[in-house]
Amino acid sequence: MRLTRRDFAAGIAAGIAAPYLIKGAHAQGATIKIGMCAPVTGPAAESGGYAIKGAKLALEAVNKAGGILGKQGELIVEDDQTTNPGIVLAFSKLAAQSDIVGFLGSIRSTQVHAMAPDVIKLGKPVMIGGTDPNLTHMGNQWLFRCRPNDSYSGRVIAEYGVNTLAKKKWAVLHSTDAFGTAGGKALTEALTKLGAPPVLDQGYANQSQDFTPVVLAIKQSGADILGSYFTFENDLGIFARQLRQLGVNIPWVGSPSIVNITALKLAGPALYNTYGVADYAEDSSEGSKAFGKIYRDAVKVAPDNQSSWTFDAVNVLAQGINKAGTTEPGKVREAILAIKKFPGAEGEYNFDQNGDGLHGYNIVKNDKGKIVFDKHIEFND
Amino acid sequence: MDLALQLLFTGIGIGAVYALVALGFVLIFRATNVVNFAQGEFSMVAAYLMVVAIEAGLPYWAAFIVALLGMALLGVIFNLGVYYPLRHRTYLPVIIATIGASILLANSVLAIYGPQPQVLEGWFETPGIQVGPVYLDSQYLLIIGVTICLVIFNFWFFEKTLLGKKLQATSQDKEMASLLGISVSTMIMITFIYSAVLGGLAGILVAPVLFVSIQMGSTIALKAFAATIIGGFGDVAGAIIGGLALGVIETFGAAYVSVPYKDGFAFLVLIAFLIFRPQGIFGERVAEKA
Amino acid sequence: MSAPSDNMPIPAPAIHSKPLLVRHLPYFIGAAIIVALAATMRFDGYVHNILLQATTFSIAVFGLSVVLGLCGQINLAQAAFFGLGAYAVGIGTTDLHVSFWVCLVGGCLISLLAGAFLGMSTLRLGGHYLAMVTISFQQIVTLVMINAIWLTRGPDGVPNIKRPELFQSSQSYLAFCVAMLAIVGYLVWHLADTKLGRAMRAVRDNELAAGVNGIDVFRTKIYAFALCALLGGLAGGLFAGGFAYVSPDQFSFAESIVFLTMSLLGGVASPIGSTIGTGLLILIPEWLRFLKSVPGLYLAIYGLFVILIIRFMPDGIWGFVADAFTRWRAKTKAPPAAAALQLRPATVGGDTVLEVTGLSKHFGGLKAVDGVDIAVKRGGVHALIGPNGSGKTTTLNVLSGLYEATAGRIVLDGTDITHMPPHQRTAAGLGRTFQNIRLFRSMTALENVEIGAERPGNTMVGKGDDALTERAMEALTFVGLGNRANELISSFSYGHQRLIEIARALASNPTLLLLDEPAAGLNSTEKLELHELLKRIAAQGLTILIIDHDMTLVSEAAQHITVLNFGRRIADGESLAVLRHPDVVSAYLGSE
Repeated sequence: MRLTRRDFAAGIAAGIAAPYLIKGAHAQGATIKIGMCAPVTGPAAESGGYAIKGAKLALEAVNKAGGILGKQGELIVEDDQTTNPGIVLAFSKLAAQSDIVGFLGSIRSTQVHAMAPDVIKLGKPVMIGGTDPNLTHMGNQWLFRCRPNDSYSGRVIAEYGVNTLAKKKWAVLHSTDAFGTAGGKALTEALTKLGAPPVLDQGYANQSQDFTPVVLAIKQSGADILGSYFTFENDLGIFARQLRQLGVNIPWVGSPSIVNITALKLAGPALYNTYGVADYAEDSSEGSKAFGKIYRDAVKVAPDNQSSWTFDAVNVLAQGINKAGTTEPGKVREAILAIKKFPGAEGEYNFDQNGDGLHGYNIVKNDKGKIVFDKHIEFND
Repeated sequence: MDLALQLLFTGIGIGAVYALVALGFVLIFRATNVVNFAQGEFSMVAAYLMVVAIEAGLPYWAAFIVALLGMALLGVIFNLGVYYPLRHRTYLPVIIATIGASILLANSVLAIYGPQPQVLEGWFETPGIQVGPVYLDSQYLLIIGVTICLVIFNFWFFEKTLLGKKLQATSQDKEMASLLGISVSTMIMITFIYSAVLGGLAGILVAPVLFVSIQMGSTIALKAFAATIIGGFGDVAGAIIGGLALGVIETFGAAYVSVPYKDGFAFLVLIAFLIFRPQGIFGERVAEKA
Repeated sequence: MSAPSDNMPIPAPAIHSKPLLVRHLPYFIGAAIIVALAATMRFDGYVHNILLQATTFSIAVFGLSVVLGLCGQINLAQAAFFGLGAYAVGIGTTDLHVSFWVCLVGGCLISLLAGAFLGMSTLRLGGHYLAMVTISFQQIVTLVMINAIWLTRGPDGVPNIKRPELFQSSQSYLAFCVAMLAIVGYLVWHLADTKLGRAMRAVRDNELAAGVNGIDVFRTKIYAFALCALLGGLAGGLFAGGFAYVSPDQFSFAESIVFLTMSLLGGVASPIGSTIGTGLLILIPEWLRFLKSVPGLYLAIYGLFVILIIRFMPDGIWGFVADAFTRWRAKTKAPPAAAALQLRPATVGGDTVLEVTGLSKHFGGLKAVDGVDIAVKRGGVHALIGPNGSGKTTTLNVLSGLYEATAGRIVLDGTDITHMPPHQRTAAGLGRTFQNIRLFRSMTALENVEIGAERPGNTMVGKGDDALTERAMEALTFVGLGNRANELISSFSYGHQRLIEIARALASNPTLLLLDEPAAGLNSTEKLELHELLKRIAAQGLTILIIDHDMTLVSEAAQHITVLNFGRRIADGESLAVLRHPDVVSAYLGSE
């Protein structure tokens, strides 16, 4: 490599200048703009791609059906880098464009927490997929959730295990990240309410290489059913294998990751006959089936919740603006909160005053590697 | 008791993985006085090479050879691209360059292969055997076996062969070695190749247990590095003992103290060692020759 | 520590330059303008957030420029210190309802203590161990942030963090942060030219030489590390107030690496470089969004750049620019003229300056030095000779404290220095040079000699930087290099570097000067010059202990000779008599 320091310096200078030159000017059109923060880079980059596709498919459908307030909708995507500072920058970049009328936030709760102060400052509707129950219970009136929150997933897991499977001695296992902690707490609370407080409540750190101590703890606790919140598929895979190897075969109801395609591939037979809660299950409703067909046709892969929630979010937002007849944020907010019995891919939307659109989950079963819809459990409170 | 036996087996299995990666660290450190922060990525890259080779239709043994050859090549590139240009500078730029290399390797694989973890089947058909109260995972048995073989091989190689002795001479005193007519740069090149292949071997061996993912190398490497310090830096036997000790401490710590803080034990033990027993682990204090 | 002496501080003729604050006035005016701009210009939220992030991150990176740039120690846990400060403000202003200012100071203190503790426990080891320990610390802090839910609210993070009453609006808060940046930047910039800063640079360039020139290496490193942690904590506190939300993943190991890269990219040794690096690493990802359609590609390029920067721009972007400027300036700026050097070695003990009795140094079974006695008389030149491997250099290293003596006693001018670390021996009046020259390579000749002049207990230097510079100039002029004082070490020939090393020792006004093979590697003209120089030094009454092979130099310069062989003393006495001693003749002829 015959590269001198001088050449290298010149190279850096050119590299830094290039984006300015490349940056093209976007023409202002007569469209209604929707901003979206999505992980284009970082650990969640792949699911971010699915999310963007879901949103685009919804917008295409909306535009075909007459658009938003008679204009074509346009999606502006900013990369949130899968990090908290990343989404703060991405959102503020979008928020600075005054002609954007509504936003899609993140499926990650911590990211929504991070951007929440800016959302209040801006005062425009933001659709979110993060399932931490607190998000819609902390006085931020501009967040609207298009997935059922974790208090429901916990209640559904508890309800199904206690009432349908008739098991009372629970082991609860959850990751110690934001998602797992909130989920584990919700499940424990729901179980306690049902009169079956868990005999073991165990957290683990993400990217563990070994679960032997955890499995042995479950074995020793004498639990006859396992409820779990796993964040990463490789953790789930390692745990599932070791669980079976060490001879634990009790029923297992898990959070959505347990029916995730990657998890099925990694864990294989170790996950057979387990149950999972899923906010999106293709056979759960007409709306779900319809979305499944559109998505399979366009993207050629099986649909999942990463794309279904953004699909619904765009539809709900468009519906809200159209009902309000204006893009004035306060009116749009009222219109969204008034949405009832709206058939979405994730289920039937009935917004409550907190901004939660969905109030139930589907239970699905892993039948020899195939995911089959079992039942939908809905709550009215 | 049954519980403790099961934990002991798992601890030794995990510890053997740390020990394998630690071995690669130690060899490079002895030859160049540099800690290679990309050592963990060597393991990750090898596991991906193996997955790619098997997807391309090669039988397991052929894929294994291809992956290890690929690692040898990576060792050459790494030496020429990262270490060699900086060999006359202090340790600091070299450490930072290896950190850069680790970011580069991890994200290049991500860019090429995407973020989903992959499955790599183990060498054995049967997943494991039950011996009394203890379940022995066949892949862990293999890892422990390979570690024992490598310890013996390393002993033979460094103590009994001419090349091994030349490598040792180089790592102890470069100036003296070059006066004796040993080509120091060739010896360092060989060390990098050997370390990359060793790291790769570790990656291929653990992949069936931990799956093949971008992060698989970095977490193991940090622990392996801690193991080398606990065992005694620059010492092959120390790296193995440190690795095994760390695996066992971690597993028992998780079982009897706290699961979420499991990853912290390694680092607590390490800091405690550095504070309370630094002499005990280095042996003779190394003073710079004035 | 240093012995009281009869040499009186000579009144240094003061150089009346402008006070420091006046000379740096342009900086403050510039900073004030930028703060005013930050307070008044209208930004949209996006630009505001980028500026706030860049400002707070820069302060954290300043910390790295102290520890890494000035002192040469690695810190891979800056994000953890940043996080400690951020959480102190986060938890303090929300859960504990404490004032922002108290939290900010508290966070700084917590970081400072954590940094000092970490430093004290591991900085003796340095290098790779430090890298590993800081990583460990980083991981533990992250684990605690995630798992100690009762304290940190766990992975959810802390929202609704308060700002001070005074700076409620985003705009005024940004201006406040920019003002902090300007102040901290000034302090860090100025630090390099203070005594502590010079000590840090000396430690970075050559720990060994720093130690024997009177610098407490260990303490200097701890100061640097603690200061770095403190700045990390301060930056974190400001960050928390600015973004009103903190969570554990913002302070992970990956962030520590980002801080490190920011520091390297801009230029590790200067605050301006740090700011440039931070700004670029926040802006570049924004500019390169088009690269990001392939996951990992951007970070792969980033990793490649880290390698390339280390390879081709070791001092970063700013270092690259500043280097060119310094070379240009060094040629143009004429150094000030200097008075004649005064050497007034202290005299407390009797006729004997150095009294070594029964000195031994064993390495395992090898007796490198075994029961050696040496008595060096005051004034004049004493030589220690012996064939290769006779234990000469080991003796010298035990004398200057680089090795601990296995047995025996060393008394310097009435003070027992047997168990003192190198820097304390220097303070007690010992000066030395090295066989392989050990100068601080990134500094000018003048700066090198200034470090020598700063020896604790040096009574020949008046108060203030100007007196220091003056003393250093005298020493340089004494060895004949006064006119090249502002050139970097690398531009001097080998022989001249040796002279600078001697000047560095002389500037400290030692009681005894140890010269380790001063003639090694010199050509015959340079040897003659060296001989002349030794005569001039001896003429001022300074005692010299010289170690050399060069028999001509030794026999001409030394009045007294001690001969070692196989670690034992085989002859001692007046020069000519010793050189004719049959044991000495056979030791030399028999072995060489």
